[in-house]
Amino acid sequence: MTTSALPLFEPSAAPGPRGALPADRALPADVIAADGVDGAYIHVPFCRHKCHYCDFYSFVDRDDRQDAFASRLIAEIESVAPRWRRPLETIFVGGGTPTLLPPRIWQSLLPVLARRLPLAPGGEFTVEANPETVSAELAEVLADGGVTRVSLGAQSFDRRHLATLERRHDPASVERSVDVLRRAGIREVNLDLIFGIPGQRVEEWLRDLDLALALRPDHVSAYGLTYEPGTAMTMRLKLGEFTPADDEIEAAMFEATADRLAEAGFERYEISNFARRDALGARRCRHNMLYWTNRDWWAFGPSASGHVRGVRWKNVPRLGDWLACSPWSPVIDVERLDARGVSGERIMLGLRLSEGIEAIELEGLLAVGKDAPERRAAFARQVAAGLFERRGTRWALSRRGLLLANEVLAELI
Amino acid sequence: MQIRNFSIIAHIDHGKSTLADRLLQATKAVSAREARQQLLDSMDLERERGITIKASAVTVHHAYNGEEFELNFIDTPGHVDFAYEVSRALTACEGAVLVVDSTQGVEAQTVANAYLAVANNLELIPVVNKIDLPAADPEKVAMEIESVLGIPAEECIFVSAKTGQGIAELLDRICEKLPPPRPSQMDRLRALIFDSQYDDYRGVIVYFRVFDGPGLRVGDKIRMMGTGRTYSISDLGRNTPFPQRMKQIGHAEVGWLVAAIRELGDVRVGDTITLEVNPAEEALPGYQEPKQMVFCDFYPASGTEGSDFETLREAIEKLHLNDASFTYDVQHSEALGFGFRCGFLGLLHMDIVQERLEREGDVEVVQTAPTVSYMVDLNDGSTLEIHNPADLPDMSRVLRIREPIVKIEIICPTENIGDIMKLADQRRGIFKTQRFISEGRQMLEYEIPLAEIIYDFYDKLKSITRGYGTMDYEVIEFREDSLAKVSILVNGTPVEALSLICHRSNAEYRSRIILSKLKKQIDRHQFEIPLQAAIGGKIIARETIKSMRKNVLAKCYGGDVSRKRKLLEKQKEGKKRMKQVGSVSIPQEAFMAVLDQSEE
Repeated sequence: MTTSALPLFEPSAAPGPRGALPADRALPADVIAADGVDGAYIHVPFCRHKCHYCDFYSFVDRDDRQDAFASRLIAEIESVAPRWRRPLETIFVGGGTPTLLPPRIWQSLLPVLARRLPLAPGGEFTVEANPETVSAELAEVLADGGVTRVSLGAQSFDRRHLATLERRHDPASVERSVDVLRRAGIREVNLDLIFGIPGQRVEEWLRDLDLALALRPDHVSAYGLTYEPGTAMTMRLKLGEFTPADDEIEAAMFEATADRLAEAGFERYEISNFARRDALGARRCRHNMLYWTNRDWWAFGPSASGHVRGVRWKNVPRLGDWLACSPWSPVIDVERLDARGVSGERIMLGLRLSEGIEAIELEGLLAVGKDAPERRAAFARQVAAGLFERRGTRWALSRRGLLLANEVLAELI
Repeated sequence: MQIRNFSIIAHIDHGKSTLADRLLQATKAVSAREARQQLLDSMDLERERGITIKASAVTVHHAYNGEEFELNFIDTPGHVDFAYEVSRALTACEGAVLVVDSTQGVEAQTVANAYLAVANNLELIPVVNKIDLPAADPEKVAMEIESVLGIPAEECIFVSAKTGQGIAELLDRICEKLPPPRPSQMDRLRALIFDSQYDDYRGVIVYFRVFDGPGLRVGDKIRMMGTGRTYSISDLGRNTPFPQRMKQIGHAEVGWLVAAIRELGDVRVGDTITLEVNPAEEALPGYQEPKQMVFCDFYPASGTEGSDFETLREAIEKLHLNDASFTYDVQHSEALGFGFRCGFLGLLHMDIVQERLEREGDVEVVQTAPTVSYMVDLNDGSTLEIHNPADLPDMSRVLRIREPIVKIEIICPTENIGDIMKLADQRRGIFKTQRFISEGRQMLEYEIPLAEIIYDFYDKLKSITRGYGTMDYEVIEFREDSLAKVSILVNGTPVEALSLICHRSNAEYRSRIILSKLKKQIDRHQFEIPLQAAIGGKIIARETIKSMRKNVLAKCYGGDVSRKRKLLEKQKEGKKRMKQVGSVSIPQEAFMAVLDQSEE
């Protein structure tokens, strides 16, 4: 105890995880034995309304289980985290709508996070928020509790397009939220935007982008609307309720986004993510960078996914099942990839980044497995077709390569 | 004892099977309860469609004028595609009962069957059936029979197979009017094979009619004169209608034999049986090899899996045991994998085989659009028969292409004559005759290319006439026409599996349909893809698939990685299963869509 600057690392008194869970619902021993992770993802499944494009696990809670959720979450953190011997770099609370939890619950949660999931100096703590749930009181609670970054789901500033998405917030609430968050001392604000909404014109999208930039965000995520299986949006598409955006228009929007944001001083560091760059550097989302660089993060909360020591898993997705098991989450979809699988994932994730992959590493990744000759040949063809760009010692997708990333990746993974 | 051998011939649904059952019941061969089911049609499929596919024979007894008569009732297949089998069955008879539905009147098949019977020198007994129905108009129908077939109206017997009315009179008339079998022309045995069936336990059961000589006994060594094969009879009998073993089947009688014959293909309908010892020198006339006119491919529906192909092979082989009149050869399509190219006697035959494969073989098959066989005369004087456009040699070697022409008889309401003529004209039909049948109905005769009626002609006829039109056809010859091979080019590369042979006058129309189907099925690529149809070097139709501009996953975060990786892997796998034509990937569905017959 005398030398430790981190008195939080007390031995856990909680019962071992294996005793409580059937073997096929428990994490592998080497994952449990990990002595630290780089980040933590916490999933809050509650929403006031389910938006039609969303395929994350969330629902409108009518049973008022938020308190039960919070105490169950605290119990798990208390049980899991004490075995870690180093501080985290990032925490990300996503959803659902984490800001639907009232300040009272946040006040009970945040001290536990600060104690059990301590951040290294300069660490990033992001909370996702819906513009209409951000009150001055909540913003202060979050900032006081160590939150450094808030990601706001703005999506669009056009009521018509918000209506298509079944997104129920007043566009004006975005500006108000940004203001409230800044005042409370949140250091970084991200705005999530969606383009390629049925009926949306390129000029309309650029107007959305300009309105977002006017709020001086530190970060913009601009997503082409995706019809995820099982979402209401996909169902409505199949029912013929609307025509999806034309390929040409979406491509034009994708290109225009990069140009407009570059002019505004943002660097594209990932396919859909742009960070404001100034003298202090680019304000990337460091937590998301963990995902794209295959680092280790732990998953808390129902349906949250984790990746530690080459193992991916997902916590049970249903709140009821998750609440019924304590303190460790039962897990599903535990996956430990072989070298070939890892190489595919690394390429898929690494090439999403503008920095790409070191040429030597990429060569090595393409050499794994029986199909190495085919993958190498495909890569050579893609380079010749202008889908790649050499950046110093690294290979990255060219602008055209980004537009056709799936075509490129499908051949390489 | 007197013997009478006869068939019942009728248009589909005019009540042939019900009448047959009623005859069996009236002669006490079966009880009323047993007769409730139609006995002669043994397959589910036959009963469902109300048609008889395989012939069989039943022997019953009837007393007339104090004399005992043995009546051998030889059933005939109910469809035009089996015209040859029908003609063989008729050859085994001296007479035929021609059944016409009193609510429907003379139909195309009535005419075709009656002509066939007359051509075989059969005595006809016209029967007007279903007179119990409120809509029955037996007198009118009798007049139709007189005007179309030249049989005096007063000879018609009015019958209700359902109530039994007129049945006794019919039985008496069969004994009285039908001629007795001709006497033996020689002491050597000649028996005609008019049908065969496959039995899982006993092998092939051969149905025959003895024409000359002493008849057959168990233990006889027999020879099939057409195929030259010899067998030893292990079992002999007849159906009454239930199988009954016999030691002997005598002159002019009808029966079945079992002789350890393993495959239906070893027995040919129309062949002559003689004895190995003291054989006949000359076979009975009229034997023909079955001729397949319509062809299509069957592929396992689930695609590339080898086991599905084996399941399909087993099903086809098993079905072939029961129906040797279709042919099958392994076919490999680069697009669709392994399957079978099958030949059929006609369109309905093809439908029946496909349905039986799926129903009895429990396999799901993908059927390509039917084609006919073409005779290709080459410059060097030789002739090639092809069933597949891809087999067509280079056109510089081709002198001419000949296609099968059918004579088609259509009976329809007078008010539809104009539309039917328009349809026949569109299909390159050559008008031959038009005949009055009765008030409000006419018969049209055309010569028309078989290729023009195998798609949807029958459906169109039915829809134009609201179901009242009927048709019957027979192939008469192969005839030259302005036929061309249309090649389909994807990104400049010809795709053989998609090529077709068609008449120059509608090549462009057909091509446009194919190209627009292809356009819907081929995904956008990173480059623009021209789709073209060409005759020789000349492009006759064109479509373009625009290049893909954007295909990128917007989001890939921590929880998405596995799913998105699998998605991309699936995309990669999907591409592998596609056929590569140059740098274009064509999905199997695209081939299916093009080969599908509909014009959507």
